This record gives sequence, C-alpha cells and structure tokens, in this order.
Amino acid sequence: MSGASARNPREGFVARRKPSWDRLEALLSRGRVGGAEEWSELAALYRDVSADLARARALDLPDDVQGHLDRLAGRAHNRLYGAQRGATLSVVSDLFHGFPAAVRRQWAFVLAAHLLFYVPFFVGVIGPLVAPGFATSVLPEGNLAQMEEMYSGSIDRSAGNDAAMAGFYVWNNVGIAFRCFATGALAGLGSVFYLVYNGLILGTVEGFLWSRGRGWNLLDFTIGHTPWELTGIAMSGAAGLRMGWALIITEGRTRLGSLRHAAPEIYRLVLGTAALLLVAAAIEGFWSAGPAPLWLKVVFGGVGTVTIVLWILVGGRGGRG
Amino acid sequence: MLLDTRAYVETPERVRFRHQLAGPGRRAVAWLIDTVIRIGIFLLGVAALIPFVTLSEAFSGAGIGLAFLVLFLVEWFYGVIFEIAMNGRTPGKLALSLRVVRADGSPARIPDLVLRNFLRAVDYFPIWAPGTESFAIPTFGIAILTMTLDPKLRRIGDLVAGTVVVVEERERIGEDLVIEPPVTEEERQELPAQVVLSREELRILEDFVRRRRRLSPERAEELAELCAPALAERTGIVAPTAERTLVLAFARATGRDR
Repeated sequence: MSGASARNPREGFVARRKPSWDRLEALLSRGRVGGAEEWSELAALYRDVSADLARARALDLPDDVQGHLDRLAGRAHNRLYGAQRGATLSVVSDLFHGFPAAVRRQWAFVLAAHLLFYVPFFVGVIGPLVAPGFATSVLPEGNLAQMEEMYSGSIDRSAGNDAAMAGFYVWNNVGIAFRCFATGALAGLGSVFYLVYNGLILGTVEGFLWSRGRGWNLLDFTIGHTPWELTGIAMSGAAGLRMGWALIITEGRTRLGSLRHAAPEIYRLVLGTAALLLVAAAIEGFWSAGPAPLWLKVVFGGVGTVTIVLWILVGGRGGRG
Repeated sequence: MLLDTRAYVETPERVRFRHQLAGPGRRAVAWLIDTVIRIGIFLLGVAALIPFVTLSEAFSGAGIGLAFLVLFLVEWFYGVIFEIAMNGRTPGKLALSLRVVRADGSPARIPDLVLRNFLRAVDYFPIWAPGTESFAIPTFGIAILTMTLDPKLRRIGDLVAGTVVVVEERERIGEDLVIEPPVTEEERQELPAQVVLSREELRILEDFVRRRRRLSPERAEELAELCAPALAERTGIVAPTAERTLVLAFARATGRDR
C-alpha cells in the first residue's frame, strides 16, 4: 500500500489534513464566531487551508479535493475579512457629507437633470392654463376626469381615500425615480426619457387641476412631500445621467473601468435619492392626507425645501467629512 | 469556446482560490424564491391591516395606503436589506447557496449592494405589460443579454457595483475510491504488469472514476470513448467497454486492482 500512496499522493494528504479542515468547517458553519480565541483559531486554520490549497494545486490533486479546499478557503476568507466595522456609521456619514458633496461636484449633471425635468414640467403647468386642449393631448381624458374627481374636495371625499391615494403615489413615484436612475445605464437615454416624460405628465396634471379650479386641493395634498419627491426624482436622474456619461466618455478607460471609476459618486447620489424618497414616502403616508390646515402644510413644505437646500449647500463642508 | 465559469481570487496571503460563478438559471430560481417571499411579506402586511380596515371607511383608506407602503418597501428594499444583513445573500440566494461578493472575492460592502439592487430596475427591462399599466412582468431581457456577453456572468447591476454572484456549495471530499465492480481475477491476469501514467492523466482518470457514478452508463461510455482507444493502445489493456478500460488503467496504476 505504501507504493500505492507514493503513486497517488491524495490519500495520505487528505487523511493527515482532514481533521483540520473539518474543524474549520465546523467553525464556519456556526452562525457567529465566539471570542478572540476562536477568531485567532479561525485565522490559523485559514492560513493552513490556504497552504493546503497551494499544495493540492501543486500536486494536481483531483477536483473534489481542490474544490473542497477552494470553497473552504473562500468561506474562511469571507468570514475573516467580512466584518464591516462601522458600516452603518459610514452610510450615515455618506448621507450627510458624501451626498451633498457629490451633488456639488456633479453639479453639471444635477443641473441637467433638473432642467430636463422642470422645463417639461412648467410647459405642462402652463399648457392647460393657456390652451384648453393641451391636457387631453398629453393624457387620456379618463385619467384627467379621475384626477379632477379625486381633487374635487366634495363631501364624499373622506380622509381614508386620501391615505389610499397617498400610498399609491408613494409606490408609483418611487418606482419612477428608481427606474429613472437605473435606465441611465442605457447610455443615459432612459434617464432623459423618464425625466422629460414624468416632468411633462406631472406638470400637465398640475396645470389641468389649476385650470379646473382644483389647484388649492392639490396644493393642500402635495405641498408637504413635493420638495422631497421631486428633488428625489431629479437626483435619481442626475445619478442616471452620470452613469450614462461614464459609459460614453471613458477618459481613456475601458467602458467597464469608467463605470467602476464613477461608481462611488453614483452611489452617493443614489443614496441621497433613496433618502429623499423615503422621507417623501413617510410624509406622503402620514402627513399629506392629514387634517392639518393649509397654512401649516405650506409652512411644512417650506421647511422641507429649506432643509434640502441647506443639506446640499452646507453638508460635507465641515473639514474632512 | 472554452467556458470557464470560475473567478480567480488572489488573497493578501498570496493564495489564489477559485469561486464558482453562478449562471442565469440558478439565479433565476433564487429570484423566483425571493419573489414568492416578497409576495408573502406583502400579503402578511395586508393581513395585519385587515382588522383596521374593517373598523371604518376612513381606516380602510389608510389601510390601503399602508399596504402600498409595504409594497414599496418589499419591492425596492428587500434585496438591499437582506444582502446587507446576511453578507451578500437573500433568502433565495441562501436556498441556492449563492452569495454576492466583490469581483476580487472579498465581501460585498454596503455601497456595492445598494448599487446592484437599485440597478435591478434596468435589468428587468424590457417590461412586458399586458393590458393595464400597473401590472407588469419583467422579462430580464437586459440582464440576460449582459450575462450572456460578460465572461463573469454579471448583469448591469453587478457590472456597475463591481460584484459577482458565486456558488458557495460545500463540496464534499469523496470517500476513498472503491473500484466498483472490483477487478476480477480474470481481468487481473489480462492486465499488463505495469501501467505508467502521468500525474495529469492520473487526475483525469480519478475524476472520471468518481464522476461516473453520477452519469448514466451511456454517457459514461460516451465520455470514456474519447480517450480509451489511445489509452488501450499505449498500455495494452483489453476490456469489453471503454469505461472499463479507463477503470482498469486507473486501478492498475494506483494499485487498486487487488
């Protein structure tokens, strides 16, 4: 048998090392690694299995051995280097410092996104006020009638219906915003489309309702969350445009390398977008349909606007944030 | 074309290990499981709201509103939250032993996971919406296209975030090899006195002998036929089938023929 093992180095190697592998496997399968002692044992076993893996490769051992060691080393590596210390803290810091700083650095994309959204938006607002047929050329009449009904302010309109509507709009508009960002990967075209399209639709609804004398009802419902939601949509568009730009203008990098290079900045913009939309959702769900008087809602919307502006202008300026 | 679906990772310890990349099929199944779970969470949320809804009309509206909030959360934050909490896994990925890691094999960090999950919205495209506007089925056309073109099987979200999805199955080390059925006295008489094989040949034969139990006899024979004639000619082994030729060569070379 000794002759056989010389010709087939596998058996001796596996028999000798397997207890150590099994111990590592047991440590890894546990949900949590205990105290410092277990961590150092894990680290030692990881170094051993790494050496075993190199040896298995050198001996060209069969796939089941190499595969087993690959997986074991991979999992141990993942566990050892996986601890993300202060990860939550870094998200908070990215939100308060990283996002505003990114908005200022990427001001050209932010500006472009705002223009792409607000120019069609105000065309939509003004259109129905000056040309009666404008709204119906943008949106189906059925939809418009439904909108008018919703904001009619008649007696059968209960607070409950408002809340249901608010929930629908959160879901709908956040979907729009995230799609607006993600489709920036299509050379920025998706973002441009969603910005222009939604700017026009939202603006037209706004203008149509004002033209029908429902403007105050609309204002009452939307003023609280509008600053957050529209800024969120515009910022998501900015992130999408930045991504599309990285794909087209590579500055000598590969397309993929260019995307990866821009990724941290895109992340900061997306993180800010998500925060804006979450705040908008919370306001829309718990405040906008509420019974507060109109003046208070307007003040609330104003406070929101000032908060966003300050956040973006001041955030991340305090030294090395 | 040779398809190598493994990603090579070099660690600070100067060890290279391989990750098995996950293909679209496996990931689709994980996604389906996650989708079922998401629908489940949504329905649970709705069920929890029912008592309030029945109270009065005002509450019913609020209930519907909250149901949409739940829908919004499971639709857009399910993936991010689970992948952050479970180090690159959702329940669906856990069920299929998948994990999101960075391209260099290190654990995915929060920014990576945020990007890859929010970019899902583009990988869904084109969206198939039969009839109404609010009911839409993602076709994953873009994800499938990029995964097909990319050697590391990444969708757009992975490309931008710098992540790959790997299979983390625990591969068992095979038991000590037993030649089945054992080499008969008759066969032993016929075997050449010595069979000399290179280390690489030995490894390939061992892989085959181990794997053949999981293959249909026809497929095993088909595979064996690829190299059996050359091997038989060189070593002088005579056997009724190609498969047996390989098994006998391996048994003789490693001293497992008695």
